[in-house]
Amino acid sequence: MSINFTINGREVIGKKGESILEVARREGIYIPTMCYLAKTTPNASCRMCVVEVKDMDGFILSCNTPPTKGVSITTNSDDLFHERQNIMKLYNVNHPLQCGVCDKSGECDLQNKTLEFQVAQQDFATKEQKRKPKKWGVLSYDPYLCIMCEKCTAVCNQVVGSEALYIKPGGYKSEIDNHFTKCIQCGECISVCPVGAMASSDFKYTANAWELKKIPSACAHCSSVCALEYEVKEVGIGSTFKDKEIYRVTNEADHDSLCGAGRFGYDYENRVTCKDKEAFAKAIGAFESAKSIHFTSMISNEEAYILQGLKEKHGYKLINAEAKAYQNFMKAYTSVSGCTLYSATLDTIRNCDYAITLGSAVSQDNPMIRFALAQAVNNNRAYVSVMHPFEDDMIRNIVSQYVKYEVGSEEGVLALLCENFIADEHRKTFSKFLDSLDEGYICGETSVGEEEFETLNRYKNRKKAPVLILGADLFTHPEAENIARMAGLLDRYSDFDIMIIPSNTNTLGVSLICDLDDEMTAPSLGYNAPANFVLSALGDGDLDMPAMNQQEGTLTSIDKEVVPLNAGLPYHGYELSDIANVLGLTCKHLIDFTCKLPTAKGYSSVAFDDLDNCYLNDGTQVRGYKLDNPKLKASESPSEIADIREFNGSVIYNCNPISQFNRFTDKAHQIIDKAILIGSQQFADAAKIKSGEQVTFSVDGQTITRKFKLSSKLKGTVALNPDFDMFEKSAAYRYTQVKIERV
Amino acid sequence: MSKVYFSTWRGESINNIGKPEDAWEESAYNLPEQYNEHASSKAFIGWDGVALFNPDVDVVRLATEYAAQYQVYSEACGRCAPGRWGGRILYDLLDKIARGEGSMADMDHLKEVSKTMQMTSKCEIGKTVPTPLLDLMSHFEDEFLICINEQKASKHYNKDVNYIAKITAPCTDACPAHVDIPAYIEGVRDLKLENSVAATRQTMPLAHTCGRVCPHPCEDECRRINLDSAISIMELKRIGADYETDHGFGYFHPEKQKKPIGKKAAIIGAGPAGLTTAYYLALEGVECDVYEELPVLGGEVAVGVPEYRMPIGKYNEDIEAVRDLGVNFITNARVTPDMLRQFEKDYDSVMIAVGTRISKKVRCANERPEIEGYWSAIEMLDQINLWEKYGIGEPVDLTGKTVVCVGGGFTSMDVVRCSIRANAKKVIMIYRRDEKTIIRNTTYEEYHEAVEEGVEFIFHSAVERMNDEDDVLKSLDFNKFELVPDPNGGRAQLLKIEGADFSRDVDFLIPAVSQSADLDLLPEEWDINMTSWATIKTNGKDYMTSRKGIFATGDCEYGPMTIVNAVGQAKRAASVMVRYMQTGEITLSDDEIMEDHLRKMRVYDKNEIITGWMPGIERSESEKLDVDTRRDNNKEINLGFTQDEALHEAERCMRCYYIAMVAH
Repeated sequence: MSINFTINGREVIGKKGESILEVARREGIYIPTMCYLAKTTPNASCRMCVVEVKDMDGFILSCNTPPTKGVSITTNSDDLFHERQNIMKLYNVNHPLQCGVCDKSGECDLQNKTLEFQVAQQDFATKEQKRKPKKWGVLSYDPYLCIMCEKCTAVCNQVVGSEALYIKPGGYKSEIDNHFTKCIQCGECISVCPVGAMASSDFKYTANAWELKKIPSACAHCSSVCALEYEVKEVGIGSTFKDKEIYRVTNEADHDSLCGAGRFGYDYENRVTCKDKEAFAKAIGAFESAKSIHFTSMISNEEAYILQGLKEKHGYKLINAEAKAYQNFMKAYTSVSGCTLYSATLDTIRNCDYAITLGSAVSQDNPMIRFALAQAVNNNRAYVSVMHPFEDDMIRNIVSQYVKYEVGSEEGVLALLCENFIADEHRKTFSKFLDSLDEGYICGETSVGEEEFETLNRYKNRKKAPVLILGADLFTHPEAENIARMAGLLDRYSDFDIMIIPSNTNTLGVSLICDLDDEMTAPSLGYNAPANFVLSALGDGDLDMPAMNQQEGTLTSIDKEVVPLNAGLPYHGYELSDIANVLGLTCKHLIDFTCKLPTAKGYSSVAFDDLDNCYLNDGTQVRGYKLDNPKLKASESPSEIADIREFNGSVIYNCNPISQFNRFTDKAHQIIDKAILIGSQQFADAAKIKSGEQVTFSVDGQTITRKFKLSSKLKGTVALNPDFDMFEKSAAYRYTQVKIERV
Repeated sequence: MSKVYFSTWRGESINNIGKPEDAWEESAYNLPEQYNEHASSKAFIGWDGVALFNPDVDVVRLATEYAAQYQVYSEACGRCAPGRWGGRILYDLLDKIARGEGSMADMDHLKEVSKTMQMTSKCEIGKTVPTPLLDLMSHFEDEFLICINEQKASKHYNKDVNYIAKITAPCTDACPAHVDIPAYIEGVRDLKLENSVAATRQTMPLAHTCGRVCPHPCEDECRRINLDSAISIMELKRIGADYETDHGFGYFHPEKQKKPIGKKAAIIGAGPAGLTTAYYLALEGVECDVYEELPVLGGEVAVGVPEYRMPIGKYNEDIEAVRDLGVNFITNARVTPDMLRQFEKDYDSVMIAVGTRISKKVRCANERPEIEGYWSAIEMLDQINLWEKYGIGEPVDLTGKTVVCVGGGFTSMDVVRCSIRANAKKVIMIYRRDEKTIIRNTTYEEYHEAVEEGVEFIFHSAVERMNDEDDVLKSLDFNKFELVPDPNGGRAQLLKIEGADFSRDVDFLIPAVSQSADLDLLPEEWDINMTSWATIKTNGKDYMTSRKGIFATGDCEYGPMTIVNAVGQAKRAASVMVRYMQTGEITLSDDEIMEDHLRKMRVYDKNEIITGWMPGIERSESEKLDVDTRRDNNKEINLGFTQDEALHEAERCMRCYYIAMVAH
């Protein structure tokens, strides 16, 4: 349905659901706003976006009014200017004149619009209220500066789904308050504040906006690889050693989001003053004798390409257990689905009306999945069923149904999903597999009842865009291969779109580019991973490497896109390309390899400098390129499911706090969560431990000592054990039955 | 008509200044001249003008107080720039003038800020508050100028005058339960759905129910009608209620329940009126016992309204919200006069809310209840609903049967549509009047859907006689009527058309013309006053019967009426009961007095010309099950709005809040 009308005499076409303002913005026509945020529903509080409509009396609000056929809209006139000027006069009533020390100065909407509407003097005044500034961790709120545009509460409610920030009504005294226990410290509120009211506690009083240079790049902490801008300032001016520092991270907040790790976990650079020739020579020596290279997925596509190239040239074994598990999972998935890649993207989730998540700690694993689910719930009233062995209380307002299954029974749960959701016309083809399922046994062993599936089926009725989100618990499951085949079956023969969350930043890229091996043979070389000789971007290895915020290159995102990474900070030491050059893979820069990424795996021969990184007026992100998803022959079928193993006693689940992902986020000074074991009272009682005690246990052959903390939010016998501080992530199943001992 | 000294209300211009009182021109509107039995009003000021009832009013202070009321209101708002700052400036400047410190520049600024508020405020309250202030400033400029020029306080600045204000909206005023409709719609628009359902529950505990089966009188007085078409008010109520239950949040109550106040009330009947009474009494800390004659809770909405219109699972959520406050339900408990005598002793007050559960006769010849095939609507719906919803009793199977229902209201619609679902061969609705009237008495959807499902409607007709063989119904004789206009311009009359009589072979005659109350529970010696309709008489304001401490609401008081009517009465009664139990006095709060005044005046003005909103934006229509998917089962027909539809509809709401204020 399209609606023809005119704005300022220009013929434009509105789409169903668009407001006048949205059409205007899409068409590049300016209408001033103070409270409008494209990614949420209109707050309609500023009233600046009023426009005139021919033959109609009064002003029409453009942000929440759809156009009707044939109307002529005028966005500017003397009358409109006058009323907008009056609104700006009102906004300026008692607004503190502290622009000189306000963080927002130079990028403040109030400042800009005061200028635009020429409010040169203050005609009105009123008695000021007593207000109290607040500090809520990473965010600081100054109610004197607040203009009550409601962007922060809208974003917290509709995009993050935390519902932490709320309006404390009081007319002229109204202000924003925070249910702090619900706040996940993502800083979305800071990013959308048009004035200096919602400020970063850390950034406050450190720099003027105009001193900072913006460097567009991508966040490297998880596979969402969100777009961000490093804001960098020269420090040490006049000193012999000139250097730069990242002062903060911002993003295109009108359309896009960042989590706390992306926004605050930026200062993990490896500060190296010069090239360490001696260490480099040793490294070359180590490469010459090494048999295998051990690495993590926090590397760029180009680095992965180099490693693969070195393997091909020198026969190294490439060891990355986490990516290997993902690679195997995707291979099995492909064998049934017939697609190289999973079908969903974050947008699919945002636009879905029905979602099931399975095998993922939704709050912690990938914040953008949680954000996307929150948006689906708000925008489409999506039904969200979270299947996991324990309930995550933080997302209760997003979740419609928690399905708690027994630890270890994921294969059974997926089998039940197949049983319920494979389309009738295809059941016959897979009757051997489907008939082999003993529902009674599976329900018994998984603890998932028929009732829960009845509810799932009832709510699925009339849903048009269902999505199934599969997480990292599954890739390392002993029956991962069969689980993947069932996922492939659902992708192909049900109406679900499938998302298989890459478990680390560039797991998808590594799994596509590298031919990975299982067994490590000594001597080994490690890249940010333990080995006989270690290259480290954390500065604790044998040769320093640049961190991800110091590199140019590309990453392969959860959205199956190749996105550019620019160096926020310079790096003065050696890079992997230097090693590659010595070992016979010639290049001037790492990014020379960008156009060489394997086309057979869906990459395109596009040069780094030709990758786009911008947003269009309507909010569309134009960034890098999408991978091809070549169709392959699907020949396999899932096999009968294995007996379900029981996990008894104390069970540990590898799960990080929100915003902690790895040793890099841990290094960032604003991410403060400690590596502690968190469990329920029941867990504590069973393990005979108390909150605050040091305990020790063994996971995947490694002995771990942690402080234990009791959480009233958790129930059951599974405790959360972070691994962000570990040198290497365990490649074993995420749950481990452990014996807990007090130290 | 009201006697006024001066009025600009709704555009009238009555100025009796300087005229002798007996020559005063009257206002055309029902203005609240008399505030209550104790006090007469000095002035009325509101969104559409101002009226003074005597010359002694201090207009400067009146204006200041009205602006102050906007400040009080906006305690709960402050959600747009013009309203938040503009409202504050209006008050500050008016008070400055009133206390004798103002300047001429303040008058100019007042006018300037007023204009911006009128042009750009988010809601009508911000747009309309300046209206009467500007009226006063222009018609009584001298009084303002005296304060400014002589730098002295206005004449009654320091005197005690009562200023009583009330926030209303046309839809809220039209709703018998006075639900804060703009607030719950705003909850949807802001995607704060818990706020939406909490706003509904302030005056309407049955959010699920009245989001589904309310005849929505509010939509007839929606201001948006003046622009294009009414907001789909009723259906938006469902959004918040469904959100609450879909996420298993428990219940969002409008406020924290008060601690027990040591008072007990008995409530007889667990239908909408009884549930509502219990809900608001319990919120105020009163211990409630609800006695229900049937084995199930919910009254006629449970055993009368069919599942396809009102799924019992959803209604049970409303009932559970009441139980959530600790209300005690006693089922299978038919109250007798002896019990009621005892209740009077054991409880601090008693609510009678037993509804009207006796089907009235169709008044035809040979109408004998013992004839097999004569089946009252109430009994039939009881049997169907008890079976379909609770598995109690046995199913109704009308396979091969011909059913005739006489009615024209909601109950008769339920009868015919349930008959279709019970597989009847032929279902006929007999109605004395025409199609237009049946739609007005029910809803367009209800009538339209019944026709789709195969019900035959015979208008302008009535049953003349039941024909039986050995007390088994065999056929019915009918008369046809026509509507003959009164040549003298009076009400048109239904006249029988001679020779148009007809007969049909039928198996069932189901009278659903109306119901009467079964009031056997009232002790004779109480001699409770009754209406001429044989319902319990109250004054329609405080709902106390002629016996102190005994209250009555819902259909047994009003006669068969809507759910929302019962809820509105019961909400008011609960408020009166709480005060009665604590003080022994029967009183209305200022808010309730204003509520009644406003309803008398009517907030909605169908002649108003609306500006500042784009006309022609279509109302959302929710998806309904098509006739083939619904005709033979109990699936809920109305699928409700998708989120897109709900948001689109919520954005259409113009948030027509108004402030009215009386000075006495």
